[in-house]
Amino acid sequence: MTRIIFVCMLAVALISAQNTHYQPDANWRAPDEAAAKENPLAEKPELAAGGKKLFKRNCVECHGDSGQGLKKAADLQLPIVQNQSDGALFWKITNGNPDRGMPSFSGIPELQRWQLVLYLRKFKQIDTEKTQN
Amino acid sequence: MKSRILVFIFLFGITVILHAQEAPYFVTYDHHLEEPGNLEIATWTTIGIPRSGQNLFVAPFAEFEYGITGRWTTELYLEGQGTPGDSAVFTGWRLENRFRLLKREHWINPILYFEYEGINEATKILKEVVGNAEISSERNADLAAVHAHEIEAKLILSSNFHDWNLSENFIVEKNLSQAEGFEFGYALGVSRPLSKIASGNECHFCLENFNAGVELYGGLGSTNGFGFHQTAHYLAPVISWQVSDNSSFHFSPSFGLTNVSYPALLRFGYVYEIRGFGQKLARVFEGKP
Ligand code: HEC
Repeated sequence: MTRIIFVCMLAVALISAQNTHYQPDANWRAPDEAAAKENPLAEKPELAAGGKKLFKRNCVECHGDSGQGLKKAADLQLPIVQNQSDGALFWKITNGNPDRGMPSFSGIPELQRWQLVLYLRKFKQIDTEKTQN
Repeated sequence: MKSRILVFIFLFGITVILHAQEAPYFVTYDHHLEEPGNLEIATWTTIGIPRSGQNLFVAPFAEFEYGITGRWTTELYLEGQGTPGDSAVFTGWRLENRFRLLKREHWINPILYFEYEGINEATKILKEVVGNAEISSERNADLAAVHAHEIEAKLILSSNFHDWNLSENFIVEKNLSQAEGFEFGYALGVSRPLSKIASGNECHFCLENFNAGVELYGGLGSTNGFGFHQTAHYLAPVISWQVSDNSSFHFSPSFGLTNVSYPALLRFGYVYEIRGFGQKLARVFEGKP
């Protein structure tokens, strides 16, 4: 029983700390050519593990452990984010949106940025699981 | 005297330098600014290898870098210098600001840099090289008595191309305390990470944690005489090692290319980053846990 209460409390805490009201900046859009790029690592899902390590190192301080988004940072689980193409997410990680608090990560090697995109897709499953429960 | 110098080196030495995916340069700046809210604390040391008749020196400096916004980074430096057989002195402070001009990544990314330096003539950290070179053999006590207020501006241009970074810095400096005219300098850097893919496991020594490159920097004279005459230039291989998620170690042997350059400089630094420092501080003031 205490375990169930604990899990419920944790879930409430997680959801309430989430930036579910996140609205993407309408002016921050990947050019069509960039958005159409495919993830060169799409056939290598095992490389998402490296993406997880990079996410922990560079992103959790703003996006949280499960991409839920702390303060103004985007909730990366939301369909409004997950419905974007791999190329669009890659472009956003590369360029950032410095005026709204998202840094540019062009200093991370290209393939590692694609590894991050692989890992970001894991957050889609969290969202689907949540809505199913 | 020796023990005073050792304590001094140790005090600066314990503050460390490093940063996620940062270019490994010591002198050249690229276009990557500090992430907003992050505080980076670093210690850097320059050891000057002397020619005969000159003294070896050790010049450490501490750096505090804070990301104010996504397009504005500010830095405070505190510096010192110790010469065995002479003395160890505090050589001053510097306050620097960097501004990112463009919102998105481009082929060439420009950054504007402005710095105020409240230093004295005993400074030897060689954070940049400008003007004409003179290698002084005066004692530290005499040099430290001569104060200098300097302002410095840099145009930083930097490009990332297939994981290579290429950066060019153009430097102009004015010593407000003396009629030296405006002094000029340059720094060029090229670097790349040693591995393109991140492995899934935590590893300290795998190639993905290393970034290597080379820097070329030197003086270009002043408004009293522009050009290479009597100027110091250095060629320096550079390497950085991401020791942990938030710390890195940097190392560079630099080689003097002219007879007014020091024959060699050994540089190393340790960087430690406190992520979300601004937010943590705000919570303390708001009284939240
Ligand atoms: C300093 C805080 C911060 C860090 C660090 C950070 N982000 Fe962000 N991120 C933001 C903010 C704020 C936004 C929302 C920007 C906006 O409102 O336009 C955002 C937006 C995003 C978006 C776009 C969401 C959309 O609107 O489509 C993606 C994708 C993203 N971040 C991924 C990452 C990844 C991957 C990392 C690590 C490599 C990272 N972020 C690191 C603050 C951060």
